[in-house]
Amino acid sequence: MRLLLVEDDQKTADYIVRGLTEAGHVCDLLRNGHDALFAATSGSYDVIVADRMIPGLDGLSMVKAARAAGVRTPAIFLTSIGGIDDRVEGLEAGGDDYLVKPFAFSELLARINALGRRPAAQEQKTMLRVADLEMDLIMRRVTRQGQSIDLQPREFSLLEVLMRGEGRVITRTMLLERVWDFHFDPKTSVVETHISRLRAKVDKPFETQLIHTIRNTGYSLHVPLAS
Amino acid sequence: MTGTWSRLLRSTPFRLALTFGFLFMLAFLLSGAIVYQMMSADLAERLDESIKETYSVVAATYASNDLEDLVATIESHAKLSPKKEQLFSLTDPAGNHLAGNFTAAGLPDGFSAFDAVLPGVPPDTEYRAFSGSVGGNNLTVAFSLSETEELETVAMMSFGWATLIITGLAVAGGALLASRVQRRLDGIAATMVDVSHGRLDTRIPLTGTGDDIDIVSSQVNAALDRLSGLVDGMKQVSANIAHDLKTPLNRLQMILEGAADKAALDQDVSDDLADARAEGHQINETFDALLRIAQIEAGARKARFTDLDLGEVLEIIAEIYTDVAEDDGKSLVSTQLRETADPIHGDRELLTQMFANLVENALRHCPPGTTIRLSVTRQGERVLASVADNGPGIPPDEREQVFQRLYRLDHSRSTPGNGLGLSLVRAIADLHGASIALDDCQPGLAVVVSFPLVRSAAS
Repeated sequence: MRLLLVEDDQKTADYIVRGLTEAGHVCDLLRNGHDALFAATSGSYDVIVADRMIPGLDGLSMVKAARAAGVRTPAIFLTSIGGIDDRVEGLEAGGDDYLVKPFAFSELLARINALGRRPAAQEQKTMLRVADLEMDLIMRRVTRQGQSIDLQPREFSLLEVLMRGEGRVITRTMLLERVWDFHFDPKTSVVETHISRLRAKVDKPFETQLIHTIRNTGYSLHVPLAS
Repeated sequence: MTGTWSRLLRSTPFRLALTFGFLFMLAFLLSGAIVYQMMSADLAERLDESIKETYSVVAATYASNDLEDLVATIESHAKLSPKKEQLFSLTDPAGNHLAGNFTAAGLPDGFSAFDAVLPGVPPDTEYRAFSGSVGGNNLTVAFSLSETEELETVAMMSFGWATLIITGLAVAGGALLASRVQRRLDGIAATMVDVSHGRLDTRIPLTGTGDDIDIVSSQVNAALDRLSGLVDGMKQVSANIAHDLKTPLNRLQMILEGAADKAALDQDVSDDLADARAEGHQINETFDALLRIAQIEAGARKARFTDLDLGEVLEIIAEIYTDVAEDDGKSLVSTQLRETADPIHGDRELLTQMFANLVENALRHCPPGTTIRLSVTRQGERVLASVADNGPGIPPDEREQVFQRLYRLDHSRSTPGNGLGLSLVRAIADLHGASIALDDCQPGLAVVVSFPLVRSAAS
């Protein structure tokens, strides 16, 4: 993917650019909001990663202005303000995701990947399918190898998030936000518990495991790679 | 001494007393002047009346062409006034003296005034006279004004003295009151100076009379109590933060140094790096929690409040944590969560975090086998949400302290945590106008959060 990174701190920028390049992305780095707005309106990026505190135009206003100019490129805010209202402000300004500094690189990468491959223009899917696992979003029914799997409503959302992100890493924090609407880090094994319940229903009774744990980061649902 | 005086002159009560004394004096002088004017007018009128009366009595004794009786009457009247307070004069048309104790010359008919120069009378004595014609002769009756003037002087003098005495009393009373009030104001000022010098334990002495100064003083004292409590809390927190962050920072440094040594020997350092990452994470979390609490306490979040059903929030918490509790060897049961549909005014995200914190506290500090109960009940104008367990509980004397930042019970120092969970809970409760009670479940702890209903919150 072609990414636009707006970040004025040299060390952070180097760290992110190196990581993203290693992950196979092309990354343009800009240091101030005006340049970034100009680059963003050129429209050739897949994802914009913007720090909120940058010289010139701040990140929030930059994304707002880009949205007003009709730029639909997904944007993710990086913020060190750590404020509890930042996420809401960021989303209201037209951002698609937010991440509070300091962050783990794997977290940023997972979120960039999730944004970059988001189906264009709210394509309405009614069926999700990964190998022999099927989810009917309208009937809210899950089957594997034709066998119906009985899921609690919250387990259904958990599986839905994992299936929509097929093959990508979904971090613990992303799951907490998207499945449980938790915007804080619980001190108990909330995610692990529910993942293990889901595994017991979706994976255990079958031969191939679809839900994989990514150490220190999160989970990924995909057909096991031939090894 | 000059210092005392200049301070007295600057003191508000003394200035008030002076102002009032001055106003009083002015009012007194004004009323005195009016009374004096009225009195002297009245006295002059009375004098004129008695002159006229005497004139009539004397004149009546004259029968036609009989001057004898008139002369005799005048002479007898004149004898009654040896000091010449009253003067009588009868002259013929040519101005020759016929009778009386003086000779009126050139006085017009009717009332007139003159200064007499007479033997046995102080010079410049003023007289008021009435002249008329009786049987062709001129009769004049004149009374001295000295008596009237004396009365007027007495009135003037008494007003003058009264004014002096009142002014003196006002100034003296003002000074007395001012010095008393000044002493108390000095006490307040001295206390504030002490406080500004950092002695936060000093308080303004109260007289116990319950007057306005006492009320203000006790309010200042209450503010000082709160201030010193906050400062103590801040000191405590700063010390705790320094300690709690220094420990993981030290550990982090040790881990990194160990890793560096290992790396120099080409040994595997991936475990050390994982440890370092965990420590770094912990430090960041503590900072995040502190910042979050500070932001909630600043109240910025209130703009996003909506009406919501507390039972619904707890239901989601129960749904999320029932399995977590089960995996942890504990059980979570919820009762009557949707019985009260009374809405409260709040922030769903913060309330979710608050109850998640309370449930996680119970999960982390209770032994396996514990049952945690969630419930919502309506009590009068409040909605009570309770998270109760049958675990070890909190000793009564430590129940208030657990809400302090970074405070940890002795027996929980070994379990992970930063001692900020309950501070966050309290901050969120305060933001919602809710009160928190820690009850003893014998055994166990019940945290009861009492929210105002939307109705009462709106009124």
